[in-house]
Amino acid sequence: MDIQTQLLYPIDQILLALMIFVIMFGMGGSLTVDDFKAVARRPRGVLIGFLSQFGVMPLIALGLAVVLNLPPAFAIALILIGCLPGGTTSNMFAYFARGSVALSISMTTASTLLALLMMPILLELYTTGFTRQITEAMVAAGADSSAEFVIPTLNIISSLVLVLVPVAGGMVLRRYSPGWAKTAEDTAGFVAIIVILYLLGTAFIRHSNLFLETPWQVYFSAISVGLLGFLFGYWVSRLFGVQPLFQRAISLETGIQNGPVSFAIILLSFPEPSIQNQMLWLAILYSTFIVMTSSFITLYLRKRGKFDWEVHRNTVVHNRLFGEEYVTDYPQGFLPPRIAHDPSQGTSPSQKR
Amino acid sequence: MESRIIASNLADLYRQAAEKYESLPAFATRHKALDWNPVSFREIYEQGMDLAAGLIEIGVKAREHVGLFSDNRLEWMLADYAIQLSGSVNTPRGADVTDEELIYIINHAKIRVAFVENDALQKKILRLRPELPDLREIILLSSKSEALEGVRPLKEIAAIGTWQRKNGDKRVNDRMNAIRPDDLFTLIYTSGTTGKPKGVMLTHSNMMSQMEVIPIELTCTDRVLSILPIWHIFERVFEVYTICCGTCTYYTSIRTLGEDLKYVEPTFMGSAPRLWESLHQRILENVRSAHPVRRALFHIAYFLGHYYQESIFYLTNNDLQLKPESMIKRGVLRAAHALRLLVLLPWYGFFNAAVLESVRQSAGGSIKATVSGGGALPLEIDKFFNYIGIPVLEGYGLTETSPVIAVRTEDKLVNGTVGPPVADTEVRIVDLETEEVLYPNEKYPYDGRGMRGEIWVRGPQVMKGYYREPEITRKVLLEGGWFRTGDLGMMTFNDSLKILGRSKSTIVLSNGENLEPEPLEMQLRQSRYIEQCMVVGQDQKFVGALIVPKLDVFQEENIQAESLAELSENPKAKRIIRDEIKQMLSAGNGIKNFEQVRDFRLLSNNFKVGEELTNLFKLKRHVVEQKYEKNIRDMFHPKEVKV
Repeated sequence: MDIQTQLLYPIDQILLALMIFVIMFGMGGSLTVDDFKAVARRPRGVLIGFLSQFGVMPLIALGLAVVLNLPPAFAIALILIGCLPGGTTSNMFAYFARGSVALSISMTTASTLLALLMMPILLELYTTGFTRQITEAMVAAGADSSAEFVIPTLNIISSLVLVLVPVAGGMVLRRYSPGWAKTAEDTAGFVAIIVILYLLGTAFIRHSNLFLETPWQVYFSAISVGLLGFLFGYWVSRLFGVQPLFQRAISLETGIQNGPVSFAIILLSFPEPSIQNQMLWLAILYSTFIVMTSSFITLYLRKRGKFDWEVHRNTVVHNRLFGEEYVTDYPQGFLPPRIAHDPSQGTSPSQKR
Repeated sequence: MESRIIASNLADLYRQAAEKYESLPAFATRHKALDWNPVSFREIYEQGMDLAAGLIEIGVKAREHVGLFSDNRLEWMLADYAIQLSGSVNTPRGADVTDEELIYIINHAKIRVAFVENDALQKKILRLRPELPDLREIILLSSKSEALEGVRPLKEIAAIGTWQRKNGDKRVNDRMNAIRPDDLFTLIYTSGTTGKPKGVMLTHSNMMSQMEVIPIELTCTDRVLSILPIWHIFERVFEVYTICCGTCTYYTSIRTLGEDLKYVEPTFMGSAPRLWESLHQRILENVRSAHPVRRALFHIAYFLGHYYQESIFYLTNNDLQLKPESMIKRGVLRAAHALRLLVLLPWYGFFNAAVLESVRQSAGGSIKATVSGGGALPLEIDKFFNYIGIPVLEGYGLTETSPVIAVRTEDKLVNGTVGPPVADTEVRIVDLETEEVLYPNEKYPYDGRGMRGEIWVRGPQVMKGYYREPEITRKVLLEGGWFRTGDLGMMTFNDSLKILGRSKSTIVLSNGENLEPEPLEMQLRQSRYIEQCMVVGQDQKFVGALIVPKLDVFQEENIQAESLAELSENPKAKRIIRDEIKQMLSAGNGIKNFEQVRDFRLLSNNFKVGEELTNLFKLKRHVVEQKYEKNIRDMFHPKEVKV
């Protein structure tokens, strides 16, 4: 399919840019320098998270693109989404899923920085086949034979740097006024939902046939890239034997990507209207569905992790009040074998909030 | 994962808990915010056994009444362990016991051995000794002060017991085995709101029945914060219940509550309405002083929470159903609520996560639910906590019913009611004058649901009677095992009990109109200007109120007043209160015309616990009426005629 009409009017683009700014600013508002230091102190969890985010997730996206035989622009967008750093909302979801918020924050922090290096490499690696398809299509359409579609690596890096500026701004605000930073953080999530719904709504009004014309493969990939991310994130971390608290955080972190960053990259790096529109459309769909899927996954993980979590909190409180060396000795059979040998579930980071 | 212990009596329960939970912490006492001392189920049991052996050695007999005059502390529980294990009866009372009460209780219950909490109490009891002919032994709980002459420290008795047990003394075990279900485990003197104290006799089987029917799930991983007076049956049963479930109880105090909520992260709490009122105020103050953006976010979140929860209540059949509704109407409304729920869900989901969670954090983040008892919870506050996502399980009971008669559960959480009666318990609504059974009665539509009357109860929790008061016992404990509570209530159409006030506190105006003062007082107390109040007007032409204003709030609003006395004369303050009463008791709030408070007096003193208030902050109406007789007379018969 080809989206001929303009998907985003200038006003929408401004709105989107504003949203990206507000969200990244809010993300900065939730971070402190200590969070970066914490990454160094907790390398194992973050490393497994890294593997899951930059190793598994892009492969899931590539696999989906190949298996579903997506049109090249959608495929590139999907892989782009697969390579994104973790989103800030993952911290909130991790909190409600009874996962380790500290780890979630560490992973978001680490992946946002590492994205500068990893995204260009991964995109170069995984999108070659699809860029060739586009080039061939362009040539077939009678374009200049020297025309070639390439991933604008430099542009991507510069857009990433650009979105990191408000993050730094948010961190500065947090340093000087935690109250306002908290407000910024809360507002960011709200703004994101409003803008995404607005974009969906206007798309619905202006291009109502767009929803019908979009092939099912695109919907399917937009929904399942996140779901598969949750699934693999959970199992990868489980295979490495990390504690349930971390499994839940890594699972969510893997599936929830930083959508706004993808908007920024698409707008700034892929100016060709037809390609930009298709890519944006997939990014909008992903951002919409991920809110729903992660809500469901969070509810599921929350329920599943209830017992582990209560045991874990009890241990944390006992150690806080009765001394670090206090060992809570539950009656035989109370703890399931899975956590019986280590009720504290290892070196549990204390909750951030 | 819940597995509560089923025992035949309290001593047996203590023994089983030690065997089952061993080194798990049973109780924790606070030294500093982050320094607590745990005592395990095994430790407290062994210490209790030693102390029990000591008690037997100094002459405590089986089924004898032992006095325990103390507020919440670990040694209270230890003393209770010892009393139960030695087969005797715990007769408790708080440290704020007055001279008259102490004399009355000790002589009436024929107490020979008494525990006292601290230095002040041992001095008090020694001073009164000439009037206590039966009293032989006084034991001091606190190890912080020296025992005076004629008083033995707790350690001494325990040491005697340790020695006895080492030498093969098995009398404690014999005593435990000899406990019958019908034996008393406690004799509680209730000051009540009227008259002289009455000794409520509660048996082991009363207590054990409560352990089986309490519909609240607790496990070894729960943490309970204890703040209510332990010698009151509500807190007492709750603490025994935590022992039953292997849950650790953390002792806190009003002074340290804020800090303890944060560090202990309680998952459960028993509390009186007053606590919820102050927590509610605190949350609102926080919101008022927050950033405008955050304040707005809170209001949106609360708005969403309100309509979301109301729809949930309606769809789960947990709305307050005071009138019957036709199936068709319910069906239509159900569909409407389902639709509303669907529309609200995503928004509520977001605001619940981003805003309401942090509000819940300020009330101790891990709280799953709380039980409120010992007085009616104002509906507004009840709803507030449910809307922000802290389910309050309000319960209902009396000392005489040890205490739980009904309690809301998470599945049956009908705001404005005290939930369905607990298992094995029958409830009747009885006409006040004719004593005709209104509910359950097939004669009436819906079996009498929705009809008002006195609440009668029959079940395994009903007391044996008042000690040495057969006359009074006969008045309340009727043939067939029915106990008349003296409370007004009705059964809602979804089978939850709604309490409508004490039948005794009903005010009858001179024009014959009846009104319940409690709901009006509750409404008035919602005002941020009003600390305490009492509605009066028996046999008068109109309703009046005695009001204790909140001094600090008026000072914040730049009204010059150093004291309550000064404030009570301030015309500006009077005007504010007058407007406030008008607003709080508007017809829109369901206040009938004759219930309007037409006049009021500002009082120059706070109501004090032990004087105007019971330990659970219930008004002792007759005390207030006596003390402020002048104000009341002045209000209804002013010297100068108002123009």
